[in-house]
Amino acid sequence: MDLTPRTSSESSDISKSKRRWLPILVVVLALTGGGVVVTKFLTSAIDYYCNVDEIGVRDGCIGTRRIRIQGIVEEGSLKRDSSASSFVLQFNKARIDVTYLGDPGGIFQECIPVVAHGRLRNGMFESDRIEVKHSNVYVEKNASRFDEANKEAAACSILKG
Amino acid sequence: MASRKSTGTSATRLLGVVVLLMLTLLALYGLVFSAEDVVQGSTVRLMYVHVPSIWVAYIAFGVTALCSATYLSSKSRSLVWDRIAGASGEIGVIFVALSLVTGSLWGRVTWGTYWVWDARLTTTAFLFITYIGYLAVRRLGGTHRQRARRSGVLALLAVLEIPLVHFSIKLWRTLHQDESVDILNAKVELDGLMLFSLFLGLVSFTLLYTWLVLHRQRVLFLEDAVADRGLDAAILSRRDEARV
Repeated sequence: MDLTPRTSSESSDISKSKRRWLPILVVVLALTGGGVVVTKFLTSAIDYYCNVDEIGVRDGCIGTRRIRIQGIVEEGSLKRDSSASSFVLQFNKARIDVTYLGDPGGIFQECIPVVAHGRLRNGMFESDRIEVKHSNVYVEKNASRFDEANKEAAACSILKG
Repeated sequence: MASRKSTGTSATRLLGVVVLLMLTLLALYGLVFSAEDVVQGSTVRLMYVHVPSIWVAYIAFGVTALCSATYLSSKSRSLVWDRIAGASGEIGVIFVALSLVTGSLWGRVTWGTYWVWDARLTTTAFLFITYIGYLAVRRLGGTHRQRARRSGVLALLAVLEIPLVHFSIKLWRTLHQDESVDILNAKVELDGLMLFSLFLGLVSFTLLYTWLVLHRQRVLFLEDAVADRGLDAAILSRRDEARV
């Protein structure tokens, strides 16, 4: 029996080898993607933010550099005008004044934890990006213990437990 | 046994009907009966899809690892285990993708951004990419047993990422919120029907996963059978050529 390889069907061999390359390409792309993700993770994710009471105290939380700070928007501190918002962020009895050009939007409000990106200048934290770090407590809007018309009061009530 | 015309049996058809009913109930509870959250409003309804999706992905990748371990450790080396592992891996990838998409939409409304590189989101993205790699390895070629061996080893390594994803919110500071249901400490931070809707989502999605795996592993069996038949036909054809 002659089992020497065929030469007449080279085209099908080529298409088969092409098909074999596709998964290899996907594996390489997956490894590259994974590498990018890990790099991003190591440079950014491990310490996503510094708490307000750690500014200037904890390693990597020097306010003159661009940092992210986390705290709760103090009740009664939020002031908005047409171009900017200002409020006080507090955490573990430490407080810091924050300004933000514009309206943070979304569910941003008093008594809610937020992460502000920016840098410290003359005792004021100038932020150019605000992310709301919403709580893990979910309360039905029609629950009798909350005033449906006042979301901010409800958020402060949740905070106070 | 599945019939010759489909991958379904009476049992899987019954399961399919139950899944449909459960998903309908979930839609009713998630969209109509459960109330809005006092801070997040209607956005909270995304939770009833987001959390069950990642839950199913964890189960799916766990099953992939378990079946791979069974294949690699058993003497018989039955390819059934490999096919269930593969089917479960494929479905897990779909559910991680669903979790990433719903989480991203939820994040846009609540955090104010679609994506941040915090520990939870980054490790989840890494998990997603790892299992895309797993599916690619399954299609590298070679015999069914080579496929089962290669992908089995990878599945046993990849499953180690799940604790990293799940506990990332405890290990590092993340923008992602802490868990709302802590079984170990008997702590629940969800009001009445919200908790029920979430529970309904977990059960419905788990049943949906079971139904999908049952069908998909049968399709994989048929794919393997077609590949084997093609190989047999090719060998016969070569023999015929040799005779001529």
